[in-house]
Amino acid sequence: MSGSAVIKKRKKRLTFRRAIDNTLTYTALVFISVFFLFPCLWLVLASFSKSGSLYDTRGFFPSAYSFQTFVDLFTDDVNGLYPYGRWFSNTLYVASMSCVLGTVLVILTGYVMSRFRFKGRDSIKQITLVLGMFPGFMGMAAIYIIMAQFGLLNRLEALIILYAGTAPLGYLLQKGYFDTIPQTIYEAARIDGANNFLIFRKITLPLAKPMLVYTALTQFTWPWSDVLLPRLLLKNREQWTVAVGLFSMPETHFSRFAAGSMFIAVPIVILFFCLVKNIVNGMTAGAIKG
Amino acid sequence: MQHQADKTLNKKTPFFKKPGMAYQNFTAFLKWAPPGVWASICLMGAGQLVYGQIVKGIAFLSCLAASAWYFITMGIKDLAGIFTLGTRQEDLWLGIPGDNSMTMLILGVFAWGVLVLTVVLWYANVRDAVFSARRVQQGKKPRSFRQTLRAMADDKFHITSLSLPVVTVTVLSIVPIVFMILIAFTNLGGDIVYPKLAGWSLDAWQKLVGVSKLGGTFQKIITWNVTWAVSTTLINFIFGLSLALLLNKKNVRYSKFWRAFPILAYAIPGFISMLGYRFMFSQSGPINSLLTDAGKDSIFFLTNDASAKWWARGIGLFVNAWIATPSIMLMASGILSNISADLYEASTLDGASSLQQFRKITFPFVLFATTPLLISQFVGNFNNFGIFFFMRNNVISNYGDYFLASDTDLLINWLYNLSVDNNYYSVGAAISLVIFAITSTLSLAVYMRSAAYKQEDRYQ
Repeated sequence: MSGSAVIKKRKKRLTFRRAIDNTLTYTALVFISVFFLFPCLWLVLASFSKSGSLYDTRGFFPSAYSFQTFVDLFTDDVNGLYPYGRWFSNTLYVASMSCVLGTVLVILTGYVMSRFRFKGRDSIKQITLVLGMFPGFMGMAAIYIIMAQFGLLNRLEALIILYAGTAPLGYLLQKGYFDTIPQTIYEAARIDGANNFLIFRKITLPLAKPMLVYTALTQFTWPWSDVLLPRLLLKNREQWTVAVGLFSMPETHFSRFAAGSMFIAVPIVILFFCLVKNIVNGMTAGAIKG
Repeated sequence: MQHQADKTLNKKTPFFKKPGMAYQNFTAFLKWAPPGVWASICLMGAGQLVYGQIVKGIAFLSCLAASAWYFITMGIKDLAGIFTLGTRQEDLWLGIPGDNSMTMLILGVFAWGVLVLTVVLWYANVRDAVFSARRVQQGKKPRSFRQTLRAMADDKFHITSLSLPVVTVTVLSIVPIVFMILIAFTNLGGDIVYPKLAGWSLDAWQKLVGVSKLGGTFQKIITWNVTWAVSTTLINFIFGLSLALLLNKKNVRYSKFWRAFPILAYAIPGFISMLGYRFMFSQSGPINSLLTDAGKDSIFFLTNDASAKWWARGIGLFVNAWIATPSIMLMASGILSNISADLYEASTLDGASSLQQFRKITFPFVLFATTPLLISQFVGNFNNFGIFFFMRNNVISNYGDYFLASDTDLLINWLYNLSVDNNYYSVGAAISLVIFAITSTLSLAVYMRSAAYKQEDRYQ
């Protein structure tokens, strides 16, 4: 057998192996895509269901389609049971306000903890570490009493204060990001006579744009989809946020639930896809630096 | 003369530690203190007024006034209330309003907090007066209001920017947690709620470790909780890592397109996915309707029924994998792209197979880089409240021997049932302390052993 024949044979074996590899890989990919897509598709189609109740579907997909649920969502609140429009504006108000305030607080905290060395810094680090290990809503009963004392029950402002006020506890990610900005930049600005506030505004913030975006996103999505705190603090149906409202919907209003969750999920999904790069950077920044 | 005293610093017990401002001890400091400092020691804000810093002095004085007003009107009573937890029971016949133990406890925590804050402020005020005194001694003027403002944006930038977060976190996070820790050592909750008076006791702990229904529930739940945390973390991690490896393969074209599907699942708010799955597996949901159409009996997937136990647990694992693997995948692929290609090239030249490459390069690297992540995932899963809260609609088993819990509940769900929905405050608080003990020891132990901790410098 000549040398070229051996090479040919090996090449053939290689292409064969590659073909098998490709088939397996793409089968797995298709399977995974269906796995992740199917439930979403099911929910989207359910929102266009004509009958509206879970009981009327046979199999996964509705028998007839219509836009009626989306119209009902905003026009028919079933005797005040599901005032979706109110819920949506409540949610938007709470989420955007706590996003702005929370982002400012977290970024400032992360920056200061990364850049400054001062008395009490280590104890702040340790205390936040310990606080993070308590179960999240351990103090919910206490928060209820505190808010009652301040007369903030049934007020959306209570939620904003809570979300924004406790946000600085999660500063570690932001600190990790600021740690990667070289000190020499600050020193140069210092020599040029900039004070610390100016440095923060003119140098740190522009450099931290990816982290800023990530922080704002997480600060927005948390109130946007939280059920527990609003359920605890808001007692009037009119005051609820969408998440609490959706949680309360029974099977007879299944397509109302599906349609209502579209308005919550779609903006977030679009945001995620636009910012996926920032998100990955933000996550890995924290993952490696701890 | 004064200067000389400053120079003979004793480094062991420096008082007011700042360059050129340390005093041998407290008596030496008192001896040195000029009238302005004394004024501040006696009355918060007076020293600043002596040095002509009107705005600052008034600010300190009004803080003092606010604090004094608070303590006179209610604070002093609250300071004591935390020890007694109420002495006067409500008497409807005589129209006597009673003490509310729970409110007294939290107001007591709050009052002690305000007291500490006042002391800290007072200390800061004396320090500030000392600073001005030093400036006067050196022949300079005390800082003007403008200079103070400028200092707040510069030298004291960290204090200026951290003060608000510290206050909010204290009020909204530390006070509630301290309150709950204290509650774990009272008998508050259950039968003992307003108007009954509570007292300090170890009741909750005795109940938890005892052989009562509550103690039995605790053991069952904690066993399931550990099983759940271990298995779901492993499943998610393995699945997420293989997903990342799959998408990272060289022969995958349009990997951005394929990646979009897991990201879609990740982007949907978790509670919507969980509620959606609840509908999917519900009694009249599509899966059961397909089953009945095929002539089979419908299955109690998530219903409040003894046969649902393992179904619900399995579905929980499945749904959590659906929700959480995409994030693991994203992080793992970020990490994978950080591995230098040289390593693979060199090993290929040395004749390593792709399996060997995975075992010797990819896996150790990923494991190293994700250890902190793995820990936080574990802790997060241990306390994964949402899954069973949303999917089983917060049911309480009416079979089996569970006390205000269902057989899928984790400790944290039980904690919620007990303390938020059913007013079993002290037991709930004791459970939160158990959760805290478990998660903190775990994360500390694993973190200290991990390579990420030992070799922190090498990879930075």
